[in-house]
Amino acid sequence: MLALKNWDINLRSSEKKTLWSFLGLYAFLTLLILAFVAFLYYGFERNLMLQNQKESLSNLTNEQIARLKSLHVNFEKEQTYPRDERFNSAIYDSSLKQIFSTLHAKKVNLYEDIYLENGRIYFIKELESYYLGARYIVLEVPAPKRWDRKVYRKLLLYGGLIFGVLVVIGYFLLNLLLRPMRETIVLLDRFIKDTTHELNTPINAILSNIEMIELETLDSALAKKIKRMSIASKTISNLYDDLTYLVLSNHMGSHDESVDLKTLIEERIEYFTLLLESKKITISTDLQENITLIIDRKKMAKLIDNILSNAIKYNTIQGSIYLSLSPEGIVIQDSGRGIQESQIHQVFERYTRFDRSVGGFGIGLNIVWAIAKEYSLHVKIDSQANQGTRVKISW
Amino acid sequence: MVKHILFLLVISSICCAKQNVYEQNCLSCHKELAVKIDKFFYRYLLKYSSEAEVKKAMMAYLKNPKKDTSILQDGLIQRFGVKKKTTLTDEKLKESIDIYWETYTVFSRLK
Repeated sequence: MLALKNWDINLRSSEKKTLWSFLGLYAFLTLLILAFVAFLYYGFERNLMLQNQKESLSNLTNEQIARLKSLHVNFEKEQTYPRDERFNSAIYDSSLKQIFSTLHAKKVNLYEDIYLENGRIYFIKELESYYLGARYIVLEVPAPKRWDRKVYRKLLLYGGLIFGVLVVIGYFLLNLLLRPMRETIVLLDRFIKDTTHELNTPINAILSNIEMIELETLDSALAKKIKRMSIASKTISNLYDDLTYLVLSNHMGSHDESVDLKTLIEERIEYFTLLLESKKITISTDLQENITLIIDRKKMAKLIDNILSNAIKYNTIQGSIYLSLSPEGIVIQDSGRGIQESQIHQVFERYTRFDRSVGGFGIGLNIVWAIAKEYSLHVKIDSQANQGTRVKISW
Repeated sequence: MVKHILFLLVISSICCAKQNVYEQNCLSCHKELAVKIDKFFYRYLLKYSSEAEVKKAMMAYLKNPKKDTSILQDGLIQRFGVKKKTTLTDEKLKESIDIYWETYTVFSRLK
C-alpha cells in the first residue's frame, strides 16, 4: 500500500501523466544532445568553408602588403591608404592599436586566423616587416552567399529524423518499463473492486436488520449492545462508501441537483447520533434556512460525512462540535486533538494519517479534496494541536 | 649703432627661442647628413611597429648607441659609423623623441 501512496487508482490518467513527463524529459535530453551535435556539425561545416576561402584571401593579403610596402617607401609623396573593391582591410600596430581601417566591423579579433562574423569573413595575417608600423593586416570579405542554407537543410532533415526515431524508441521503452507496474496496479484495483462489491451485501443486511429491531422492547443491556453493533456497522458502511467513491469515482457520473444544505446537514448529524452519544460529544449548530447548492447529493453528503466523522473520531470524550451554515459556507469546528501546523499541508494526501490510535485508511480528506475540486469549493483547515480543528468549506 | 645691435640681439634671441629641443639637438646635425632624418623614422617603424615600441627603442639606442642595436644597414654604419652617446637628460631626450614621433607619424596622416 505504501508504494501506492499518491498513485491515483485511475490508471489511465496516471499512466498518461507519467508517459508525458517521461517523454517530455526524454525529448528535452534528446534535443539537448541533438543541438550539441548540430552545433559541432555547423562549426565543422563553417570551418570547412573558411578553409576553402583561405588561399584566395592569402593571395589578396599579399597584394595588399605589396601596396603597403610601396606606400611605406614613398610615404612623403603619397599618403592615401590602398583600397580595393574586392575587399575591405585594416592595419594594426604591435600594441593592437588600429592604424587605418576600411572595415565594417568596429572590433576585430586579431588572435584568430580566420573567422566568420555577421556574414563576413575576416582573415588576419601578421606581417614580417611592419610597413607603416603595421604588424597585423585584416581583410574583410562577404561570406559566400547562402553557404549555410545547405547546412541548415541537412541539420533539419537528419535532426528531425533522428529525433522522431528516438521519440518512438522512448515511447516503446516506457511501455516496456510500465508494464509490470501496470499489471500490479490492475490486479490491486480489481481486488479492491471485488472486495468492495462483496462487502456491500452483508453490510446492507446488518444495517437493515439492526434498523428493524425495536430497541424499546429490549432490555437496556441488550439495547446497548445493539447500539454498539449499529455504530460498528455504520463505520464499515462509511468505509465501504469511501472505497466505492475511490474506486468508481472516475466512472461515476454526477447527478447535480438543488440541495437544501440545512436538511442535508441535519440528516448527516442524525446519522452520526449514536457515534456522538458513544463519545458523549455535544453538538451545537447554527444552520441558516434556504441555503441551496447545485451539487450531487451523495457527494455533498460524503463530503460532510468525512469531515464530521473526523471531528468525532479525533475528538476527546465529552468534547464538543460546533457546526454552522451561512450563505458563505459551512464551518465544522471540534475540540479534538488537532493537527500539528507543519502537517496541515499534507492532510489532503491520500493514505496520510497522523494519528494511528483510531481506525481509518487516510482517504477521508482526500475524498473531501476531490469533491471540493470537482465543484470548485474552497476547503480551509485551521488547527492547533490539543485545541481542535476548524474546517471551513466556502463557495 | 647701439639701436642696430639691440635689434639684432632681439631678433636672434627670438629665432633661438623658436627652436625646440628636437630641432636644436637632433635636426641641427641630421640636416647635414646624407641620410635624412625621416628615413631613420621609417626604419624604426618598419622594425618596431607601435609608438611605445619605437620610442622605447630610440631611447635605448640614443642613450647607448651600438652597432648591434642600430637600425641602419651595415653599409651605412661602416660609412658613417655609430653616433656618440647623447648628452641630453632623459627628460629632454623623451621630449625630443616625442616631437620626432609627432613630426613623422604615419598614423594620423593616412587618408
